[in-house]
Order: sequence, then C-alpha cells, then structure tokens
Amino acid sequence: MTKNYIVENLKKQIESFKDEAKAEKVGHVIEVFDGIAKISGLSDIKASEMVSFPNGEKGVALNLEEDSVGVIILGDFTKIREGDEVKATGQILSVPVSDLQIGRVLNALGNPIDGKGAIKTDKSNPIEKVAPGVITRLSVNQAVQTGIKAIDALIPIGRGQRELIIGDRQTGKTAIAIDAILNQKGQDMICVYVSIGQKDSKLRKLQTRLEEGGAMDYTIIVSAGSSESAALSYIAPYTGVSIAEFFMDQGKDVLIIYDDLSKHAVAYREISLLLRRPPGREAFPGDVFYLHSRLLERACRRNKEYGGGSITALPIIETQSGDVSAYIPTNVISITDGQIFLETDLFYKGIRPAVNVGLSVSRVGSSAQIKAMKKVSGTLKLDLAQFRELEAFSQFGSDLDEGTKNQLERGKRAVEVLKQPQYAPVKTEDQVVTLYALTKGFMDDIAIDQIKSFEEGLTEYARRNAKTFYKEVIETKIWTDAGEQELVKAIAEFKQSIQK
Amino acid sequence: MATISINNIARAIYESSKNKDEVELDTVMKNAVDIISKKHLLSKSKEIINQLQIISDKNEGVIRAKISSKVKLEQKIVNEIEDFIKKRYQAKNTVLDFEIDDKLLGGIKIEIGDEIIDTTLKNRIKKLQNYLITK
Repeated sequence: MTKNYIVENLKKQIESFKDEAKAEKVGHVIEVFDGIAKISGLSDIKASEMVSFPNGEKGVALNLEEDSVGVIILGDFTKIREGDEVKATGQILSVPVSDLQIGRVLNALGNPIDGKGAIKTDKSNPIEKVAPGVITRLSVNQAVQTGIKAIDALIPIGRGQRELIIGDRQTGKTAIAIDAILNQKGQDMICVYVSIGQKDSKLRKLQTRLEEGGAMDYTIIVSAGSSESAALSYIAPYTGVSIAEFFMDQGKDVLIIYDDLSKHAVAYREISLLLRRPPGREAFPGDVFYLHSRLLERACRRNKEYGGGSITALPIIETQSGDVSAYIPTNVISITDGQIFLETDLFYKGIRPAVNVGLSVSRVGSSAQIKAMKKVSGTLKLDLAQFRELEAFSQFGSDLDEGTKNQLERGKRAVEVLKQPQYAPVKTEDQVVTLYALTKGFMDDIAIDQIKSFEEGLTEYARRNAKTFYKEVIETKIWTDAGEQELVKAIAEFKQSIQK
Repeated sequence: MATISINNIARAIYESSKNKDEVELDTVMKNAVDIISKKHLLSKSKEIINQLQIISDKNEGVIRAKISSKVKLEQKIVNEIEDFIKKRYQAKNTVLDFEIDDKLLGGIKIEIGDEIIDTTLKNRIKKLQNYLITK
C-alpha cells in the first residue's frame, strides 16, 4: 500500500468517470415544515417522482398543484432551507435489493442500520409497483405452517394469502407473528418483518429473540421507528414488499409481516393533513383504502409460467378497546382473506394465544391445509362451537344431561389443548396426533390440569412408537388404516403407562 | 367559491388585452387594477406581473434565459448560445440575461424557466465527488 498505489487507483477511477451535460428540471423550495416541502417550478414532474435536495436528501412528490409541488422529505428536513434548488430525478423512488439483505436490519430506504457494514448491490426495485394480474396468479393451495395449533388447525393460512392479525394492545399480536417467523426454519421461506412506528427497544428485543431462535438466517427486518418522520413510516411497508418481490421473482416463498398498519395509516394521515388534503372519516384522507389495498394486493401466489413464488402477508391492526368497526380495521378486514381476532378477555383468562376462534376466519386457507389436519380439525371446530354455546347456558344450573356434560368436558379440553406458550411452535405431525387424540375422545378421561403434560408425553411417545403414522402424515399428508391402528395402540399404551 | 389564483388573473389580463388598441387597452388596464384591488390582491401584484410576463412570453415565443459564467462571454459564443436556445425551444425570440459569477470556476450555466443546463466546472467537480463516494 504505497502512496503511488492510491494515486494510481484514484486516477483510474477518475478516468472512468463520464459526465454529460444535460438539461435538468429544477425547482426552488418555497417553504419547509414538518417533513413537508412546497416547491415552485418542476413543471414536468410526475406523481410520486423522486426529487433530490442539495444536501443529498431525497423527497417524493405527492401533491402536484397549479404553481407548486408538495413533497415529502425522506430524512432530515432541518437542513433544507427556503430557496434551495431541488432537482427532479425522473425516477420513482426505488430501494436497493439483494440476497445479502437477509439477516440484516434495514431502514425504510433499504439501507442497513444494524452497524454490520454496507450492503453492496447494483439492483433496485421501485417501491410502487402494480400488483400481479389475474393471469399470473395461482389459487392458494400450499400451507404456511405457523406452528400455532389454534391457527394451523382452525384458521389455516396458505402461501399467497393475506391474513389479518387484529386485536387490542397487549393481546399478543406481534407474538403470533414472531412465532410464525420462528416456525419457518427449514420450510424454505424468506421472512420480511416490517416494523412501522414501533419503539426501538421493542425492535431490538425482537431482533435478539429472532437471533436466538436462529430465525435471522432467513429474515429481513425493515424498520421505520417512531422517532423517524412520518414519511418514512409511510414508505416502509412498500419498501418491505419490494424486497419481498425481489425474492418472489427468484421463485421463492416469502412471508411478510406489517407491524402495524394502524400506525401506517396514522402516518399517512399526518402527511395528508400537512399537504392540506381534505380530511374524511376519522380525519383520514379519502384514499386511505387504496393506500392499504394496493399494498396488500401485492401479496400473491404466482403460477409456474410466471416464475412461481409467493408472498404471504400478515398485516397487523391494533384496535382501540375492541372496536373493530372503526375505519381502518373495517377497511383492512375487507381487503384481507380473513382475520385472526385476539381478545383481551381471553388473554387474561389465560387462554394464550388469545384467539377468538368463533370470530376468526380464513377465507382461502382451508384449501391449503393438509388432509390429515383437515380430518382432525373438522370436528374440532364443531366441538368448540357447541361448547361456547353450552358454556354460557350451563352457568345457570348444574342439572345437565349426560350428553351435554360430555360436550362441555370435551370443549374444556379442546380449549386447553389449543393453549400454547410463546416461542414454542409445534410441528404439524405432533399437532395432528394431539388433535386426533382430542377429537376421538382419548383425552376425555384425563383431568384438565393434566392435559398439557399428557399432550407433551403423548407426542413424544407416539413419535417413537407410531412411526408409520408419522411417516405417512409427513410424506403423503394423510394416514392409512394401518397407521391409524398403530397410533390408537400407541395412545392406549401411553395412557396405561401414565396410570400406573 | 374557489379562490382565484394568480395564474387565473394574469391569464385573464393577457386574454383581454390581446389585439386591443391603445384606448381600449387603457380601460382594460383600469378594470384589471380594479379587480385586483377588489379581491385584495394588490400585495400580490408583483407575482401577477411575473406570471403575466411568463404567459405573454409563452404565447409570443419568447424565451428568457439566464446565463452565468466566470468571465464575460465573447460575442461569438453568445450568438452560438442564442442559436442553440432558439433551436432547442423553437423560439422566435430570446432575451438573454448575463451574470458573472466567480464561484463557478469555469464553464457556463444556462437557466431557462425551471430547466438548467449546467456545464460549469463547479458542478462537474461536485458530480465527480459524488461518483467517487458512491463508487
């Protein structure tokens, strides 16, 4: 490393620099406030075109008015002054995309913020893209295994589906998303977690959790923190889905989580009001539905002719004291293919995950469920529905006939089985065994407080002693009579062994 | 009622004063000033005049350019620039405004409306700097 080497290198670099004189469209800043700039000139600018400020900050033109342009500033707006020269770039805002982004934490512009160095890439994707059309799509027929029994059995999610996770604060919405990411290990899935307006401490905790679970090997975190401007919160989900599309274009399956879209809508409301767009219901602008629909439409499953791959979206919405009829929740409910309802009451009753099975639905996921699971979960849904009805009714008196009592007992056990601690995903085969034992009545004579330990022991025992059943479920997704007999025998043996 | 923009007023003044003789023009001007004062826009009169200038330039094919350079340009170069502008914007007439700016280091910068053609040394050094940083 001599001085000469550096000089030579520099010379070479300078030689390779080409500069062409070209006409550029410029405008001047009229006013700057709260992350918004009003700019004169820029006569030929297009909607959502990127502009650049003299200090290198970027902006996006959102309002094209008669004699000025309203721009949101992506980054620090305090250094932008009145009269600054603003250049139009002729491009839509795009973010760098690369395989090297896996395992990293990025900001809303796609640049790393985890202190692990720059990501070198020459590829980039525009953040706004038209969603794949009808011809390129395939219906959902392959499952996303979340490892959560209540979801995999009753509200199954398919690859390419959009399933909303909705609930009040502190009901375990993020926990479900994180469990789903943790369970993707070895399932050939890339995960993108978009954090919008979250506390940095929460994000840090989450990142550590994912690292401990080995999930950062296939996960990208895109973050627009609550200390950053609303403009960055607004573009973060689009950045996330652009990165997801990069992987889908390689034929991979991607799981993307937007945590959460309520804060996204709030950020967009802030921008819109500052841009003086007329407020509508709850002061949200008129196009807040399109804001989310165009984002969620980009989740899809593509057919083989168009490269395959899928993007499964799990948007999260936070409700205020259980009010799902507010503006944003109803919007997103109608856009998505189903929702997972989480309830505070259930959470404090100790039913965790606090999924309200009655109100949660998955409109397309059932076709993605494996046959074995379908067989065991079909009767489970019925058991639970009857249980809920009887539960309310049975509180009035204890004079119940035998059949009703049995149903109540079965329901109580079903609720118990569906409880699951955090960060403890259950394999699909184990879920099938547990639910089989439950729905066929093998658990009816186990005390309720023993259910958890029985379940753990049973799956362990069955794994060793019902190998054919396991093999069949893993390979052909359904069991044969021989496999079933083996499992029934194993269950009976196990029950005997614990009664001794 | 929608507010009247400066652009609207300037356009109205231009349209109504087009192809008018001197006497008529007098009344038009008087009315225009009346309207502006009635709408409490007298404070914006400077902007209205600017806008009027832009509209009339556009309709008459006049291009106004601001040319900055480090040293005073020779007549030959000025003619070349004028020809270039006339050809590029298909202008009938050009109004050139020259400015001497030491900070440009060399080369010239042409500003036409909101378009800039910047071939100055200062700009090129800045571009080289950006190129070397991102490389």
